Amino acid sequence: MKFLCIPCDEQMETQLDGIMPEENRNLAMKFKCKKCGHSIAMLTNKFETEFVSKLGVQMGGTKAEQSTPLGVVSSTLAQGKEELKKTAPPTEAEFEWTDEAKERIQRVPFFVRNMAKKTVMSFARERGLTRIDGALMDEVREKVGM
Amino acid sequence: MKTYEDLAGDGGSNIIEQVQALGEKLRSRLDRIKHKVALMSGKGGVGKSSLTANIAACLVSRGHSVGILDADLNGPSIANLLGIRPDQPLEIDETGIQPGVGAHKIRIMSMDMLLKSPDQPVMWTEEPEATAVWVSTMESTALRELLSDTDWGDLDFLLIDMPPGSDRIDNIRSLIPELAGVVEITIPSPLSQHIVSKSITKNSKMKVPVIGLVENMASYVCPHCDEEGQLFEGQDVQDLARRKNIPYIGKIPFDPRLARPTRTGSVFYMENKDSVTGQAIASVTDSILGFIKHKA
Repeated sequence: MKFLCIPCDEQMETQLDGIMPEENRNLAMKFKCKKCGHSIAMLTNKFETEFVSKLGVQMGGTKAEQSTPLGVVSSTLAQGKEELKKTAPPTEAEFEWTDEAKERIQRVPFFVRNMAKKTVMSFARERGLTRIDGALMDEVREKVGM
Repeated sequence: MKTYEDLAGDGGSNIIEQVQALGEKLRSRLDRIKHKVALMSGKGGVGKSSLTANIAACLVSRGHSVGILDADLNGPSIANLLGIRPDQPLEIDETGIQPGVGAHKIRIMSMDMLLKSPDQPVMWTEEPEATAVWVSTMESTALRELLSDTDWGDLDFLLIDMPPGSDRIDNIRSLIPELAGVVEITIPSPLSQHIVSKSITKNSKMKVPVIGLVENMASYVCPHCDEEGQLFEGQDVQDLARRKNIPYIGKIPFDPRLARPTRTGSVFYMENKDSVTGQAIASVTDSILGFIKHKA
């Protein structure tokens, strides 16, 4: 799927800091025309989101070595072992995530979880914060407009 | 206005590159495994998993390193049969998940190993509105991940214990194009043969090599006097093999000991090599080895 800015006839680019899926598996992705700056958001329902997730790919791009072992299984399997939940890439050491924030980020679909983490951490860094909690995540969601 | 083909890339997600990377990851695992063999049957309850476990043990006794992928996602039994404890912790790091090491050092990956408790079913969502299509797509994704994210290491054989039915072979064939072949398993009952014949036909149409047909539960062996008696009334299974133009590679008597989960760290075959059943398993294993040697 590709997005075209009709006035500029230019391909719109995925905005890496603009992906903030809701925890109930509704995905929101932003695309921006680099020529005129116009932005749009693509919103998907949870079934559309899940169909993308079954590919095992990550929106916003990722390097192959960063792909998480059993990423789709661990994020989707109900009643899986605790160890599966730890397969997500480690959070950057500079931040302390509260239990609530960890739980919320874990509910984000696997294939956009890294992007969501980056978005939250980038927001925290801009604010000079080292602690990420539920309130901060609410603010991030407000900021990206979803 | 530009068309789809005019636009290079997909705007930043590089989905195609990611899918290619996943394929390369799978390939790097499979390249370290010499032979991949699927054991399947159109019919459920014919003893696929028990036979798979015992054929694996027989291969080990012949000096081969063996792994088993339990492709029966919703009815996994290999881990239980080969002595993997349900509470055994998973070892996962960024390179993959370590397979369970079962009896006779057989490496195992099974959905059973990923679940919190032994009586837990495999459910991809607990939301009642989840669609059947969604579950089906999840299963094919899970199969790919179990295969490519398990650190199998170097293996001589990877046996794939298939679920009942013939639909999953499509998945396996696309994931493992170099599949050496499939072993079809039936019991003598006309119903089982009827269903297994469809599975053989499908494999033939899809050009999946069939190593041969195994007749399981062919007879009952008295544990006291070793005398054999007929267990099912039915058509000659050898006749089915002839009609389908595939090799008949042996018959295994019904032996309840075959399906017992190991408690001692040893499966039936290893402790009963000289029994009628043990010899039958060895004969089937020899046929598989013969097929692979001939193919090479």
